[in-house]
Amino acid sequence: MPNAEPGAPRLTLAADRPPLTEVGGRHLNYGLRTALSWLQANQDVINDLNVFPVPDGDTGSNMYLTLRSAVEDAQKAGDPQSAGSVMQAAAHGSLMGARGNSGVILSQILRGFAQGLAGKARVDAPAVANALQEASAVAYKAVMKPTEGTILTVVREAGEAARGAADAGGDIRAVLDDAVREAHASVERTPELLAVLRDAGVVDAGGFGFAVILEGFARALAETGGEAPADDAPVMAARRVGEPVVRAPGESLGATPLRGAAAGSEGRRGAAAVAAKDEGWGYCTEFLVHGPGLDFAALRDELGALGESSLVVGDEELVRVHIHTGDPAGLIAAAAARGRLSKLKVEDMSAQHHEVLERAAASEAETGRSAGEHLGTPRKAAAPRKALGVVSVAPGDGFRQILEGLGVDAVVAGGQTMNPSIEDLLTGVRSANADAVIILPNNKNVILTAQQVHQLTEEIGVHVVPSRNLPQGISAMLALDPGVDADTNRARMEEALTTVHSLEVTRAVRDSSADGQEIKAGDVIAVYDGRIAASGSEDLAVIEDVLGGLDTEPELITVYSGAGVDAGAAQALVEALRGRHPDIEFELHDGGQEHYPYILSLE
Amino acid sequence: MLHLVTDSTSDLLADGARELGVSVVPLTVRFGEEQFLDGVDMDADTFYRRLTTSAVSPTTSQPSPEQFAELYRRLLREDGDQVVSLHIAGKLSGTLQSASLAAQEFAPGRVHPVDSLSVSAGIQLLLRQAARDRDAGVDAAGVVANLERARERLTVWVLLDTLTYLHRGGRIGRAQAFLGGVLNVKPLLQVHLGEVEPVARVRSRQQGMAKVIEVIRALGPLQSVAMMHTTVPEAAEELRARLVGLLPEMDITLGQLGPVVGTYGGPGLIGVATLKAS
Repeated sequence: MPNAEPGAPRLTLAADRPPLTEVGGRHLNYGLRTALSWLQANQDVINDLNVFPVPDGDTGSNMYLTLRSAVEDAQKAGDPQSAGSVMQAAAHGSLMGARGNSGVILSQILRGFAQGLAGKARVDAPAVANALQEASAVAYKAVMKPTEGTILTVVREAGEAARGAADAGGDIRAVLDDAVREAHASVERTPELLAVLRDAGVVDAGGFGFAVILEGFARALAETGGEAPADDAPVMAARRVGEPVVRAPGESLGATPLRGAAAGSEGRRGAAAVAAKDEGWGYCTEFLVHGPGLDFAALRDELGALGESSLVVGDEELVRVHIHTGDPAGLIAAAAARGRLSKLKVEDMSAQHHEVLERAAASEAETGRSAGEHLGTPRKAAAPRKALGVVSVAPGDGFRQILEGLGVDAVVAGGQTMNPSIEDLLTGVRSANADAVIILPNNKNVILTAQQVHQLTEEIGVHVVPSRNLPQGISAMLALDPGVDADTNRARMEEALTTVHSLEVTRAVRDSSADGQEIKAGDVIAVYDGRIAASGSEDLAVIEDVLGGLDTEPELITVYSGAGVDAGAAQALVEALRGRHPDIEFELHDGGQEHYPYILSLE
Repeated sequence: MLHLVTDSTSDLLADGARELGVSVVPLTVRFGEEQFLDGVDMDADTFYRRLTTSAVSPTTSQPSPEQFAELYRRLLREDGDQVVSLHIAGKLSGTLQSASLAAQEFAPGRVHPVDSLSVSAGIQLLLRQAARDRDAGVDAAGVVANLERARERLTVWVLLDTLTYLHRGGRIGRAQAFLGGVLNVKPLLQVHLGEVEPVARVRSRQQGMAKVIEVIRALGPLQSVAMMHTTVPEAAEELRARLVGLLPEMDITLGQLGPVVGTYGGPGLIGVATLKAS
């Protein structure tokens, strides 16, 4: 079995206890809740396994928020006894909550795992191994060019180890034990497979996050016997990296002592909000319908027709309804005619999406998403539906206004360190009120998230123009022609991505030697088209360094100043640049982005 | 005899008008209390200096019907005299309306008002064709029929440096949605069949010129091309050189846009009128 790396953590899942041959929905629920708590405890460590010294999407936070959404929905599974039902609910929740590349891949892992368990009330060891392998297969399919040395490798190798243990006749403890050990060993090997990890002296953050999740899940299941844990059973205390039993990631590499969890966390805040021109995307309405004798199919069809994104699950005894509708009262009345209702919850989705998730809040106990919980007045009459809309991701008010000025229908807040979830993007897509919607992610860590949105809506054609930064997004937006169809526009806008270069100025969050530059924490660094191109101590000098190295001088440079940059300082910087480059036209705008004092668009 | 009449939005200067044998009725430009006859009392350079520095925005007004009637009376002295009066698009100005009112004073068939559905260099291309027809002995009805066919093949491509003046003059129409808002966007507009429509948005003049070349290249065979600018002769000359490279057999004229249309186009504008081959 491929698990025998010396020094790997010694798990004792299969201690002297009766074999664990079968588990059901409540076991999985307990496992997922435990995994979430373990992931939360190690979130900062995962965040700091950042390859580049730029403030970037936080892998730990993204995975945490994704799994949290899965656990929330798993609690509400149509049949809490059924393994298949719990995992299906978890998979749906993770898809709604997925943010960042690692979050999206995690959601696909959960989806694959759920597919493997579909229709099974109770599952045995071979089924768990199958489901893990299915998880790997689905995750690989979600990525266009799968890269080894990432979470994909870790889930695949964990699945293979589980398969081996199951084939050898192991029980669920043994299967998960081997899977966890192999997952950790696989994480340790990621730098051998991926040069960027080796250069940065870290293991893969997403892979490590998955190993933590799997370990929390495995240990929780190992704790249980044949009896199902109660829904409110307290989860096992998480082991944090650095505590004696669980080894720090990268420890065996010798080169990289674990970076302190506090490094680079200064001022990082996550915001997940949707800003749209018109308010109201209806209400997220959830309730249970109690039988006996419910006509499930009729109920599903009738209620499903009253809203979007409907999730109607259950049987003749109990049906769980989760529908986004503009008319919650009508929906509730229709359901009440068929059975008794309980657990009624109506959330104003616009309020929900204006809720700002602060990093600190994410570490606190779950507060639920109760913002705006009320039966509000019906939303105002909708504007006529358009043929084509555009949803754009942007950090900061300045960029939001610029993009809206260019005709973007809905701006989803997010960017470098705060990646929006699939659900945030979906909400933006719906609010665009169009038959087809083009999403501009404007960030390399949001592209994959955007590419999942189409799975959640059938009535809207969702297209993604993979803009990797804001200058690209603005350039794409300028190429939009509302008079032609979405496919033609997508092609034009993709072409427009190549007409502009981006120069992003930020501060190094840690010492590093990425891309051949020796960089100290706090240094000014310039990222040109995604690569670190210069570093130093002053914004102007670093920008000049990059401009001086260009083959051809741009005609126009647009400077977007970040939040907290003094207007006078930005003006002085642009004046200085004008003085040195009399042939280049310069424009200064307030972008309002965090972490990046300046973003320059060169064309 | 067949007489051709147009208005000053054709930007046909005195020499050009003489050469084509066309009479030009001026529109009026006002800066507050001061008023000027377009192309008569004030030259374009003086106008653009005032446009960009004056605290008061200029306004323009169409000629009165009486101005047209007076001209028509002078031209229609003999029994066989006829007038074809070709004007700025009726959707953009009331000039055609004044001409049509004036035409009613005369017996049917004597004055033929025609909507060019275009402006400036676009009107010039139509006038060139009408003058050729007239010289070839085509009668008024034939000239009008040919103009009505040609105007369908006519487009004026307008590269604006700024939307400020179009916006200020309230002539922005459907280009409104194309405003860049906060960002300084340079739109490429087209005037076709009397409508001003957005074609593309760019951030710099070079990108805009590349776009103009691209759209003109896609048009296919052309009958004639003429260019205008407001305050940027060098940039316009650069684009003209590129167009000559693309269309070596074409005689591409370059003129200056007059105050009336310039009020809405603003400084930095370059325009290209293209008439497709029939």
